[in-house]
Amino acid sequence: MSRLIGYWGRLCALFIISIMLILIGFILFKGLPTLELSLFFGDTAPLAAMMGLQPVWEGIWPACVGTLTVVLCAVSLASVPGIASGIWLASAPDKPAQKVFGLAVDILAGIPSILMGLFGFSLILLLRGSFFPQANASLLLASFCLALLILPYIACATQNALSSLPKQLSVTGAALGMTQWQVTYRLLLPQAKSGIMSGLMLAIGRAAEDTAVIMLTGAVANAGLPGGLLQRFEALPFTIFYYSAQYQSQQELNMAFGAALVLLILTSIIFALLAAIVRGRNRSKFGPVKSLIKEHIC
Amino acid sequence: MMFKTCSVRLVAIFTLLMSSPLIADELSAFDKMNGQLNIAGGTAHIPVMKKAARQIMGHNPKIHITIAGGGSGVGVQQVAKGLVDIGNTGRALKNKEMNLGLNSFPFAIDGVAVIIHPQNPVDDLSQQQIIEIYQGKITNWRELGGQDRQIHLFSRDEASGTRSVFSKKLLKGAQLATNANIVPSNGAMKTAVSQDMGAIGYSSVGYIDNMVKAPRYNHIMPTQEACASGEYPVVRRLYMNTKGVPNALTQAFIDYIYSEQGAKHIQASGYIALDAQP
Amino acid sequence: MQSHKLTLKQNSWMQALLMTLVVTSGLLLFAVFCFLIWFSLPVFFTETTSVFSLKWQPEQGRFGILSMVFGTLSLAFISTSVAFIIALGLNSFSLLSRRRWLVALLRSLLRFMAAIPTVVYGLAALFLLLPLLRNGLQLGSGYSLFAAVCMLILLILPVICVMLDNITTPLWQQYALGAQALGFSPEQTYMQVILPHCRVNIGGAALLGFNRAIGDTMLPLMLAGNATQLPSGVFDAIRSLTAHIALVIATDQGGEAYNSLFASGILLLMCSACICLLSRYLMGRHRLEQPE
Repeated sequence: MSRLIGYWGRLCALFIISIMLILIGFILFKGLPTLELSLFFGDTAPLAAMMGLQPVWEGIWPACVGTLTVVLCAVSLASVPGIASGIWLASAPDKPAQKVFGLAVDILAGIPSILMGLFGFSLILLLRGSFFPQANASLLLASFCLALLILPYIACATQNALSSLPKQLSVTGAALGMTQWQVTYRLLLPQAKSGIMSGLMLAIGRAAEDTAVIMLTGAVANAGLPGGLLQRFEALPFTIFYYSAQYQSQQELNMAFGAALVLLILTSIIFALLAAIVRGRNRSKFGPVKSLIKEHIC
Repeated sequence: MMFKTCSVRLVAIFTLLMSSPLIADELSAFDKMNGQLNIAGGTAHIPVMKKAARQIMGHNPKIHITIAGGGSGVGVQQVAKGLVDIGNTGRALKNKEMNLGLNSFPFAIDGVAVIIHPQNPVDDLSQQQIIEIYQGKITNWRELGGQDRQIHLFSRDEASGTRSVFSKKLLKGAQLATNANIVPSNGAMKTAVSQDMGAIGYSSVGYIDNMVKAPRYNHIMPTQEACASGEYPVVRRLYMNTKGVPNALTQAFIDYIYSEQGAKHIQASGYIALDAQP
Repeated sequence: MQSHKLTLKQNSWMQALLMTLVVTSGLLLFAVFCFLIWFSLPVFFTETTSVFSLKWQPEQGRFGILSMVFGTLSLAFISTSVAFIIALGLNSFSLLSRRRWLVALLRSLLRFMAAIPTVVYGLAALFLLLPLLRNGLQLGSGYSLFAAVCMLILLILPVICVMLDNITTPLWQQYALGAQALGFSPEQTYMQVILPHCRVNIGGAALLGFNRAIGDTMLPLMLAGNATQLPSGVFDAIRSLTAHIALVIATDQGGEAYNSLFASGILLLMCSACICLLSRYLMGRHRLEQPE
């Protein structure tokens, strides 16, 4: 009877591997032939398009730049508060304040991302009604909402990294007369660097692929290169969603597949970097590897 | 031989030089402008807006035009709140929307027609048949003289001007069946119907090309000419709406759409251009 | 060498900066909850009945979101149960199999699956699965609960699998040798020693998957058809709460449809928060253990 689990296990493994091969193979099959300059720049000259001298139509270059911009903005907004929160959470994990904060961070790591988009939308309404009547869906708002979305991941990763360091480090530092800040900054953070880096990588991956938040707070189908923080922008995941639902020609369908392939390559690079960091951490002396996937990890 | 080629080249250059003032005239209004123009709303307008934006941004890269869809409801809501400069609608403004201080600029005539898969043999549908299909009373193409295939209903979301025109003028207010698949735009409707042999949907007449087939409605073929002449009854105008008096860039854009170049873009997208209202 | 006073001053400055950042993040996170609750208050103080009814027909003035709630729940329950069973199978494979290279490959594949963007899953399904359902198997228009469930299973499988791995691997290392000495076969060890020992923690892992399934927007929006009906079978089109929010965001403020938006939001938030707390409680003992 228990033998069945062995068969079932093998069947599942075979099933998953073949399904993923089919899916990835399909994306590669449809996307690779479209990978050429005209996918990115349409019929505009590449150099002029990259300098922003001429707008790009029928190409995914603005979407690529838009995605990179919004991810960069979101991560820069969220990284310092996230690391600070992680440090604070790890410094005294049993106090009630830390517990409540940890709970809030945990819940926020799990909420549907469209609620973050809804939050951004209601934020515009509130701001327009009160003291900032120029508020609008924009790059700034989208990066802000994305930053709130990825804050829990950075905080949790930092907390895990710091709490898996041995107690001797901070105790020895205190014994030597270092202040708490010196202990954190000069002893703990350098040792936890790889954990924090992996948290940042996770956050970058999450920000790059999220569609629901940017859909409601500033991504549009046609906007050219991001014109500024207070303007709308294009993004790769939204482009894929838009063109897959309403392609009017083979060329637009190719754009959708090309964009999907580009996004897949981007997230695979981030995944590979993450794996490299984790492997490096495995060889370090302190602490075992924690699982670092997009489930809540507090 | 060389003389002939030379003269052909000279004539070509001469014609180009002579015509460029004409083109440049309509675009020269944008010469000294810069800034951002946000457009949102009806999805039927998007092809026209895209063509116009392409010309304008190509002429003056300092102008930045963003175009979003979302349906006529989005257009009204966002322009009333000031989130966009031009809100496109595929229907006339309702009374409570008029009270928000919006100015309407109708720029094209369009129709709303039923669309089916190109290989669907059904050629003619009466109004009563369409009403019953969308109420869910007729469920198989066989009952309409087609193949033995289940009817798959496609409809638009509530913000859509196309849907409200379809619902008021064609369905005469009949209740839509709840099992209709909802798609968010004209383009998505066209894509969905072109992939499914049993599908039936409705879209702007300007979007109809060889990806889908439009059966005759009460024996009238839905074409732009039929819409303009009034023969095809389910017509609507495409409107640009602004809040109050439009600013310089917005006014220039609206004037461009009403100009000859704009009329060419409108026709190329499959609609019939209207002149500016005095 | 800094003077002692300078070091102390620097310490207090940095501590203050740290606390400011933490308080800011805390306030922002709290603001997310507050906004959603504040904007959904009108729902509960006006017509309560109209939003929590079954029919969504805005032209007739009915704005009930219960069919969307049912859509979300059926999507989440079906995909979580199937994904859980597959995850158990994969977990047993990774513990029991003698082909360690295959197990390593499978583990990396699962982590890679978590890195794939959701829209890419949706795109692949749109052009592989839907034509199969529509033309090959003739099961409706292709946009259905079934299509969304299939892709959701692939989405939440890595989440459950990785948590299961974390739970069962240290247990296996602890008990496998002893169980073998007592005469259990590896499969019997897994089924009768390991699984019963950690069934509470495994429940927590399944809840995490359930949470992920409730919260996803793009797959139901692209694949489930968005029809506002109670599905009578797995091949009917449904609309999930998340897709409902994405579709209806463009309606008038203050209207009933707008209220339905925030009612959906608050339902999702409450559901997600409760599941999160429950799964924390169930996995609590595990979380404090350090996997060796």
